[in-house]
Amino acid sequence: MDFLLQGFLQGFVLLFSGDSETFSAIFATVGASSFSMAISLLLGVPLGFLLGYKDFFGKRVIRTIVDTLLSFPTVVIGLLVYAFLTRHGPLGGTGLLFSIPGIAIGQTLLALPIIIAMTAQAVEALDKRLPMTLITLGSNSRQILWATVMEARFSIMLAAMAAYGRVVSEVGISMLVGGNIKWHTRTITTAIALETGKGEFAMGIALGIVLLAVALIVNIATTGLKKKAVH
Amino acid sequence: MDCPLISLDHIRQIYNGRTVLSIDDLDIGCGDIIGLAGPNGSGKSTLLKILAFLNTPTAGTISFMGSPTTIKPGPVHRQVTLLVQEPYLLKRTVHANVAYGLRVRKKSDISTKVHNALIEVGLDPEKFSNRQWFELSGGEAQRVALAARLVLKPKMLLMDEPTASLDTKSSQLIRKAALRARETNGTSLVIASHDLPWLNEVSDRTIHLEDGIIQEIK
Repeated sequence: MDFLLQGFLQGFVLLFSGDSETFSAIFATVGASSFSMAISLLLGVPLGFLLGYKDFFGKRVIRTIVDTLLSFPTVVIGLLVYAFLTRHGPLGGTGLLFSIPGIAIGQTLLALPIIIAMTAQAVEALDKRLPMTLITLGSNSRQILWATVMEARFSIMLAAMAAYGRVVSEVGISMLVGGNIKWHTRTITTAIALETGKGEFAMGIALGIVLLAVALIVNIATTGLKKKAVH
Repeated sequence: MDCPLISLDHIRQIYNGRTVLSIDDLDIGCGDIIGLAGPNGSGKSTLLKILAFLNTPTAGTISFMGSPTTIKPGPVHRQVTLLVQEPYLLKRTVHANVAYGLRVRKKSDISTKVHNALIEVGLDPEKFSNRQWFELSGGEAQRVALAARLVLKPKMLLMDEPTASLDTKSSQLIRKAALRARETNGTSLVIASHDLPWLNEVSDRTIHLEDGIIQEIK
């Protein structure tokens, strides 16, 4: 048990002394996840809104596909993105393999179905009296659409939290697409995997503490949002 | 003002082959107070939704200020508004709920208007303005919903059982505020209620509906 205790102590030392290698992994994670979340929200919220709000031919099929993509294994996403970005792949010329933007593309594929599915669900779950209320208060079609998005805002934020939790804790995409390159594409999760494999628990524990802190913040925010979304 | 405000001409509403509303001729004038009475399922709510331009009748013409009007979000909904028995409040503060209709109309001096509307319905603005939608009782929510409509100074306010599930105090405040809107702004009121004595007391005319047909007008 001593080595665990020792690991925890050293982990805190690494964190609070601002160890550059540890923070390099944290910054890589923040960079890739921020990029992927921004793209996922920009694309996912309008698509999810459309899926939940409008009735159109093929809606059920699209819904089934999106729901299936929710359980897409991260290593499979990593494999697919790798295949596209590798030198012989269709996007080989972009030079995105083993880069933070490359990881972000993979993470976007992971987050996008979550945002779309949860936004669609949130819009479908809105009170049936909402459109009538907005019309009788004098809203035009554009104002009705915007007010509907605003009514679903807590659930959409919940979707963003769920997606962020998944993105920040994934290993498969970061490992395959990023290549776990020190000072460059090594993220929190790939660093934990590598350091633990080497028997270096301290950095693994330090980064694990950061991940747990992120999970705690996401969880607290999610609990608050759930309460508001239900009311 | 062009009167009558709303005219119904040979209106029929049919659901699943069953005629739920059949009105050959009905005019609602400016500043009228019309009571709607009748048992459950008699067509009161259906008529109110048609008058609110929310439902397209299966047949017939509905005119607003002399012009036949189509049913979609449009200018007419800035003149006619509906308060239902259990209104939906937006997931915002009381102030934002009451201000919503003013904002979509790009009105000025919103805070003063919201303040006055809350007083009209017996809610203390200092106490209620910043309350969230889920911090209100049923009676308070109903009064906020009424304030959100009165603040718009509509030409017509339709009310579907507005006091059915409320305590006496809230009921009285809602009734008073609605009648005051008619006195001060000339708002026409159409009120569906089971409270026949009240309807007879305040209405210029009370329409008795049964099976979607007007049985009598008093």
